Amino acid sequence: MGRFINDMKRYWRYTVYAAKSQLKTEVANSYLNWAWWVIEPFCFMLIYAFIFGYMLQRTELYYNIYIFIGLAIWDFFNRCVKSSVRMVKRNKSIVSKVYLPKYTLIISDMMVNGFKMMICLLITFGMMVFYRVPVSPLILWMVPLLIIVIIFTFGCCTILLHLGVFVDDMANVINIVLRFIFYLTGIFYNIKAILPEPAASILLKGNPLACLIDGLRSCMLYTQSPDLPLIGIWLLVSLALSALGIRTIYRSENTYVKVI
Amino acid sequence: MDEIAITVKDLKIRYKSVQAYSIKKSLLRLKSVDTKAFEAVRGVSFEVKKGEILGITGKNGSGKSTLLRALANIFSPDEGTIDLHGHSISLLAIGVGFKSDLTGRENIMLSGMLLGFSEQEVRDRMPEIIEFAGLGDFIDMPVRTYSSGMHSKLAFSITAILETDIMLIDEVLSVGDEKFKKKSYAKMKSLINQRNRTVVIVSHNLGTLEELCDTVMWLHDGKIVRMGEPKAVLKEYREFMK
Repeated sequence: MGRFINDMKRYWRYTVYAAKSQLKTEVANSYLNWAWWVIEPFCFMLIYAFIFGYMLQRTELYYNIYIFIGLAIWDFFNRCVKSSVRMVKRNKSIVSKVYLPKYTLIISDMMVNGFKMMICLLITFGMMVFYRVPVSPLILWMVPLLIIVIIFTFGCCTILLHLGVFVDDMANVINIVLRFIFYLTGIFYNIKAILPEPAASILLKGNPLACLIDGLRSCMLYTQSPDLPLIGIWLLVSLALSALGIRTIYRSENTYVKVI
Repeated sequence: MDEIAITVKDLKIRYKSVQAYSIKKSLLRLKSVDTKAFEAVRGVSFEVKKGEILGITGKNGSGKSTLLRALANIFSPDEGTIDLHGHSISLLAIGVGFKSDLTGRENIMLSGMLLGFSEQEVRDRMPEIIEFAGLGDFIDMPVRTYSSGMHSKLAFSITAILETDIMLIDEVLSVGDEKFKKKSYAKMKSLINQRNRTVVIVSHNLGTLEELCDTVMWLHDGKIVRMGEPKAVLKEYREFMK
């Protein structure tokens, strides 16, 4: 833990600068530049709203915002996890020339994707104003919920960064697993309304993303408190996962260069 | 007593059981993945005094670059220890790591910060680095648009201008075009001649090693064959290579 804190202090400026540079580069290299960060989730929201809201007659309150919240969180998790698998190989030219704690590469990438998620959440607030969604102080629960999303994502990414170095086809496996989790997370449907019991409860309790997204929707759209004991458990699991990932990286990171 | 900058004790570095494998291959074989061990560095021990210039030579595959990377903390020792006595260290190698989508200027900042310099320190030295690299307007272009020579020029300039206590140099003395080669060689000599800097150079260029180094190490199959006064060691090495 002490080493982690010292390294974070030492490499924090580098991590932030690398994230800022990456964002600037993405803006500079694309025709519609930063607008894509908004256009992509917005278009997916319209597609899901058309298919499930109009064609399949889903009737959740504030359905468009409901989907948008799910997509914002999912996109963040999905992008971070996918990129973590190839993180060391993608940064081969750097990690083979200078030492840096390899999880700083993940943190920098999470900052880039986190920035995009925040833009989506700002749009969500705009949509909430537009649809006149009633708001209560319970909306503040979104802060701890987002923090747990970030810690959980970091934990998964650290483990996958490690496995991605040693298992060549990990990226293929992860693509399939992520698609499966996507459908089990209720991004575009309400798990409680669609699935029978006890499947719905099992999914909402056993799938951290489903649990956290459901909590965010509850506090942002429906003036309800999230399931506090459950998110407490997922916070502990996320912290344990992150600690395990950091420990694994510290133990093995200097052998990564020998493999890549 | 002379201050010691680097202490290496019984260092062993192996490449074993760390090869990447695919799930398909593992399933088809239905047995454990091939774990051939190859020892690149085999129980090497030496000390480098502060301000000393150590040259390392040896035929291809003798473990020179592996040893250098272990000193830079990029490879972990499988056995033995490396003690840098609290000194900062940088590895100057051909094709130093850059983020290819970022500009040369941004990569200077990132490389400098990775070498342990603050944002302000790198910013202060930035004009000097850019001038030395001589890349003109390319400095604000993504590094992926650079030729390999331009890559090396930028890499050399960053490490040469942002000075660390210990410099590790891997075959970099022949960087870029003729003009830059001369400039980088002169800069290298001036850096090396600052007596408070410890330098470890890996090179096949025996003339350079003889001219620049205080001590030369001859590595063969991961072991030290001779280490000592450059003339004597290099004479034996030349005869061996005949």
